[in-house]
Amino acid sequence: MPALIEALDLTKKYGAHVALDRANFSVEAGRIVGLIGPNGAGKTTALRAILGLTAYEGQLKVLGHEPFRERTALMHDACFIADVAVLPGWLRVDHAIDFVAGVHPRFRRDRALALLAKADITGERRMRELSKGMKTQVHLALTMAIDAKLLVLDEPTLGLDILARRAFYDALVNDYMDETRTILITTHQVEEVENLLTDVLFIDKGRIVLDSSLDDIATRYAAVAVAADNLDAARAEKPFHERPMLGKVVLYYEQPNLTKLASLGEVHALNVADLFVAKLSGGAE
Amino acid sequence: MNTVIWLVRREFWENRAIWMIPAVIGGLMVLIALFGRVDLMSISPQMPVQAVGGGFLLAVGATFFAVMSIYSTWYLLDCLYADRKDRSVLFWKSMPISDTTTVLSKLATALIVIPAVYFAGADLTTLIMAFIVSVRWSASIDGALWHANLWLQLQTLWLYMIATTALWYLPIAAYLLVVSAWAKRAVMLWSLLPPLTLVLAERWFFDSHVIADVLGKRLLGYPAQAFRDDPGSSSWVTTVVDNDTITTPISIWGFFNVGGFFSSAETWIGIAVGAALIVCAIQLRTRRTEI
Repeated sequence: MPALIEALDLTKKYGAHVALDRANFSVEAGRIVGLIGPNGAGKTTALRAILGLTAYEGQLKVLGHEPFRERTALMHDACFIADVAVLPGWLRVDHAIDFVAGVHPRFRRDRALALLAKADITGERRMRELSKGMKTQVHLALTMAIDAKLLVLDEPTLGLDILARRAFYDALVNDYMDETRTILITTHQVEEVENLLTDVLFIDKGRIVLDSSLDDIATRYAAVAVAADNLDAARAEKPFHERPMLGKVVLYYEQPNLTKLASLGEVHALNVADLFVAKLSGGAE
Repeated sequence: MNTVIWLVRREFWENRAIWMIPAVIGGLMVLIALFGRVDLMSISPQMPVQAVGGGFLLAVGATFFAVMSIYSTWYLLDCLYADRKDRSVLFWKSMPISDTTTVLSKLATALIVIPAVYFAGADLTTLIMAFIVSVRWSASIDGALWHANLWLQLQTLWLYMIATTALWYLPIAAYLLVVSAWAKRAVMLWSLLPPLTLVLAERWFFDSHVIADVLGKRLLGYPAQAFRDDPGSSSWVTTVVDNDTITTPISIWGFFNVGGFFSSAETWIGIAVGAALIVCAIQLRTRRTEI
């Protein structure tokens, strides 16, 4: 089965600034992929290109469509929340549901109503009367009620309190996700999504610096915390990153010799956040 | 088609002024008819009753059309810009609706839907006012407002005006859409700046006024383009009222210059320029997502 998203040398320039610099990546069906990068790394530009909101250079296929030329066709099978709180203030909740039901053949009104009822949001209110968190809930309800093959979320929980965030991610995994769907999500809160992702794409300065499944990360990387007297021996094993911690030094390795490392100090697996920081800050911190 | 209906409905949700302004104008006019001194016959006692009645109904409709032209201009300037300003364009673009459909639905709202709403408002208001005025001054007005022929002529006039203004002003409307899709702020200012600059530059460098003439003709030349003014022809009559002579067509049909309007090169050049500008507006809507 071909990849759902296939990017080849995806490039986007804004004048002299290169937002995407020959980025290559692919997303398989049925995955939950986190697109992770620091501010200004090109996350949003990559998403805009995937959603057909911006022109680009290079090759890009999403669900078999060229996004920029075929946005309308793409939006039958893909849906997105490109930013929170973009529902216009004058729009009434019930009108929003009527509108999407009217123009989107894959929208399921009953599901949207159930999601809104859960969030205790009633129909006659206008978006401007709702809090930022409630507005986000409405947008999520509208989007999650669309039977789409690809769901793209850009910082979906920005502005939500911790309870609403948790509820959102629970709903995403339990009610929404199944093997027919694919989710691409960006967030700067890596810890928050780490447990639900199946894959990560690290992006930095417009380039993909890591494209890996979480299973691979668990087997491929390791860190060891060593005391000062073992430091030279540990450095000899070619760590790609190190940082001091509580009088010890933590060294990060790719495809490490685990038995050797175990003799030097305490070995543990890398989580996504650690790996992200290590990959993006280079050698020593 | 279904999508277009939803898009138009959406314009009504967003711009409640589309129906609120004509409702307010209608309400005020009905109040004037109820409590004002609208004793038509005392205005110009020498005029034929029919002419006074016709003039009265015409004036009511003309008020609606004048307000509408101002509102439509503002609507066209705002409609694509507002989506970008509040960033809701990111929501609208997540729907399977092409930018072409979106832009055309806004154009149709300005040139067809809004005029239809004002047309209905003007008709309803004239009906109610004519009724009230006829009852209040039943003695002097003598049924002047209730000639089927008069009403039919007025209806035709409005429909003719809706159709021909939509075509004549298409390049202006499309230009306003381009500004609305392009400007980062101050749409009103940006809509005026390019034509003003061109006119002034032409005057400065060439000491000529071709652009000003073209723009002036387009803005003010509509009546001359769509209506006939040939008092010598057989369908016109001359009425002498005291010492004044008034020359008018026998019926309103004599006013319409349908053949002249549609055979004029200017009409078709305008439509072509309008079409090109619409394509521009669609391209801008596709490419310029954010402010």
